Amino acid sequence: MTSSPVLESTPAQIVQSFLDAFARHDVEAAVAAADPRVAVTVHPLGIRATGTEVLNEVLTDLVRAFPDLMISVSRVIATGDVVTALFKAEGTQAASYAGAINQEKHLDIDQAWRFTVANGLITDVSAYWCQAQLYRRLAVKRYDEIAIA
Amino acid sequence: MTQVSTLPRTAESAAGVVTEFFDRYRAHDVEGMTELCAMNAAFSYPPVELWGKQRVLRGDGKVRTIGKPLWTGLIASFPNLSNTVRTLASNDDGDVVAEVDVEGTQQLAWGLVAPAGQHYREPHLFIFHVGPDLLIDSITAYWNDAGISQQLGHTEVD
Repeated sequence: MTSSPVLESTPAQIVQSFLDAFARHDVEAAVAAADPRVAVTVHPLGIRATGTEVLNEVLTDLVRAFPDLMISVSRVIATGDVVTALFKAEGTQAASYAGAINQEKHLDIDQAWRFTVANGLITDVSAYWCQAQLYRRLAVKRYDEIAIA
Repeated sequence: MTQVSTLPRTAESAAGVVTEFFDRYRAHDVEGMTELCAMNAAFSYPPVELWGKQRVLRGDGKVRTIGKPLWTGLIASFPNLSNTVRTLASNDDGDVVAEVDVEGTQQLAWGLVAPAGQHYREPHLFIFHVGPDLLIDSITAYWNDAGISQQLGHTEVD
């Protein structure tokens, strides 16, 4: 399903709709809140790219690897067209993720995602979390041997 | 000493406080950074997580008890520590969000990372709240500590 931009919505509402869709694992609806040329930066994964396909892949990978993924939003901060969401992502690994093999470990990571909204669509998203914490939770021992348990 | 401003809090004045904070950080003026914060200002660095055998030390607490020693230690370990504010967004409620690159060359041990003279530069996202008195009453920051460790030549996930 795709949705058209809701021009009367505030930037915070646009981002909240993204977060709500992500929280219910509806990646398609989440990505529908983004501009087709959205700039996507995921610092811990070294991703810096453009387009909803990239955003779709980032979200899909998370939902696929952690089927019980739970997104608990603690704050949504609107500063003009920039909206910052603070949330905790929790889940149990069921498939490889970011090079880490599945050892069925539980993940809980505090994250901050910074969005820019223009004309009712997300035009920029930058995700911040600590990959050291993520690997620690997933029982990865070394950065140069991520796939070796 | 903490100074109370008589200026009204606006998006611009709140952003000005945070800009000054990073100017002082760049100048390694930890006392000056602290003076920009309220006496009981909250501090949270979620990536700071030191696992011991029986407990985990986290970067949560107050600016004066957790933040100040962390900043002081970081500057000691990275004597050329610097920052570049890439973006800064604020509102009239005193919320300020800043994307900042922090960088430095390691000279002393930092956590479990032994000094190897390596340089790191890592993007950080800082979230501040500036009170009506134009003092920072909350600082939170997110970054990827794995990126820093790897740039410093430390390959173990501690």
